[in-house]
Amino acid sequence: MFDHGEPSYADVNKDVLSTMLETGPRYWMLLGGTMSVAGICFFMPWIYQLFVGVGAAGMNRNAVWGSYLSNFIFWIGLSHSGTLLSAVLHITNSPWRKAIYRSAEAMTLFSLMTAALFVMVHLGRVWFVHWSFPIPNQMGLWPNFRSPLMFDVMAITTYLTASSIFIYMGSVPDFAAVRDASTGMRRRLYTIFSFGWRGTAREWHTLGWAYTFFAVFVIPLAVSVHSIVSWDFALSAVPGFHHTIFAPYFVTGAIYSGTAGIVTVMYCLRKFLGFERYIGQVHLDSLGKLLITLSLIWSYINILELFSGWYGGTSFELEALKFRLTGFYAPLYWEMILFCAFVPMLMLSKKIRWSWNKMLLVSVLINIGMLTERFIIVATSQPRKFLPDAFGYYVPSWIEISITVGSFAIFATLFLIFIKWVPAISIYEVKETLKPLRRDA
Amino acid sequence: MAIMGTFAFEEDFLAVARSLQSSGFDNISLLSPLPLEEAQEVLGLGKSPVRHYSLAGAILGAISGFAMAVGTSLVFILPTGGRAIITIPPFLIITYEMTILFGVLFTLLGFHFVSGLPAWRDRPYWSSASVDRFVVVVEGVAAEQLARAEAIIRDAGADEIRHVEEEQ
Repeated sequence: MFDHGEPSYADVNKDVLSTMLETGPRYWMLLGGTMSVAGICFFMPWIYQLFVGVGAAGMNRNAVWGSYLSNFIFWIGLSHSGTLLSAVLHITNSPWRKAIYRSAEAMTLFSLMTAALFVMVHLGRVWFVHWSFPIPNQMGLWPNFRSPLMFDVMAITTYLTASSIFIYMGSVPDFAAVRDASTGMRRRLYTIFSFGWRGTAREWHTLGWAYTFFAVFVIPLAVSVHSIVSWDFALSAVPGFHHTIFAPYFVTGAIYSGTAGIVTVMYCLRKFLGFERYIGQVHLDSLGKLLITLSLIWSYINILELFSGWYGGTSFELEALKFRLTGFYAPLYWEMILFCAFVPMLMLSKKIRWSWNKMLLVSVLINIGMLTERFIIVATSQPRKFLPDAFGYYVPSWIEISITVGSFAIFATLFLIFIKWVPAISIYEVKETLKPLRRDA
Repeated sequence: MAIMGTFAFEEDFLAVARSLQSSGFDNISLLSPLPLEEAQEVLGLGKSPVRHYSLAGAILGAISGFAMAVGTSLVFILPTGGRAIITIPPFLIITYEMTILFGVLFTLLGFHFVSGLPAWRDRPYWSSASVDRFVVVVEGVAAEQLARAEAIIRDAGADEIRHVEEEQ
């Protein structure tokens, strides 16, 4: 489990807490950089769009959905493996989960926040966003719960709430460790964060039960969230959207891109926070094998999607298929196939699976492929629906491209703030993987 | 009055907990840097009542989710293509999400009630319990019993022993 010798309990506290309590100039420069990119690339174009209207984006009469929604799906997807993987591995009692799950769950939370921002950007008149919640208002207006968009509101709100509680509750014992290692204002703050946790047998017992129930609730929730996102598309009659396979297709894609995202995040934690001792080959190898499996499932569903479109035989579906495979966006489609179906097969080689640099490259390529997949779903279906006089093209404007770039900076900023406030590795769960403190051990 | 002792090894810690219990001290807290099933067994902690909160939350969420979907569609009637106003399949999705939302929230509530947290008042605590020490705390010890408790803890091989004046 540990590549550089097993640490002692005290080492675990020291190593993890030092990443929070000691901050060098490199961190501040990085944080300043990501905040600047987020401000310039995301918020400034968004403010501009708020002034001039959503016409500033490249969406048009044929393609009323564009990159904002494809980004929304991408970020929701990226959020998937964090909490889901953590919950599944908790239920199955997998020891390799313990060092990586906290950051994976944080990834879920921040991906969800970024995804929610894209809904705001897409809405245009963001100041009316509260209309989508069932809140009594003077107009007597209530949301239409028969709409898949309302399913989305409910699912994402629930997922965000559950994921926040899941990560917070798992962190309470570690907040107590931070409290005990700090002084002054930080100590007072973490006394509040840790609820006065002492680590009594009763507290551990209650937390264990509650945490397992959170995991049990979160697993079906995560599956439902991306199924519901897929129904935003599949419940319409648009060729290219209207597939029964969409729910498993989206869920698989979500777990796939999320798992690749975890590899990227783990690489950064090892490299920049010095967690080489805790995140080792066993994690990389396990994640690599998981990625191969997900890639095969994803490829199978893609083939099935093409087949069902072709087998349906309607001219609208055939036109949508032809446009996707050979039309304007065909190079992007084949790039997606290359990155998500073929590149991951390199991980069949142990040499690739055991190399952090190569795995980083593969994980980034998979997520580029997955971002493209979401874009293709949105951009190639709506401009090709039914009548040829409604055919058109959708090309994102510079504002959309800038906001897409900025969203990655928002995610990075949130993650950088997180690592200074929450132990990025679960202290007490790593201790569970060490030899017990017994005389005979 | 409370008395605390720290231990470097799990077996000493568990042994002293058993000795204290068999000697009639029943207000014992066992502090550890990680969850120990054996410590929970010593204190006789079986199934947690948290599960009742989870179930209650899930049931309440299911009922309120369905009621909300039906209620809002009756208050704000929106006919769509001649379809029924109360449509079961989409409302089941709202019900499902609310089941999970309330289940999670009630589990959180259950955790707080059952564990007695938050508790920010001063309680007997040893900060090394969050690092690498196992701490046994005997609370509410009468003055005449103090020496006996201390002897049991010391005999079990405690590294350090501390007496704490408890808040009234």
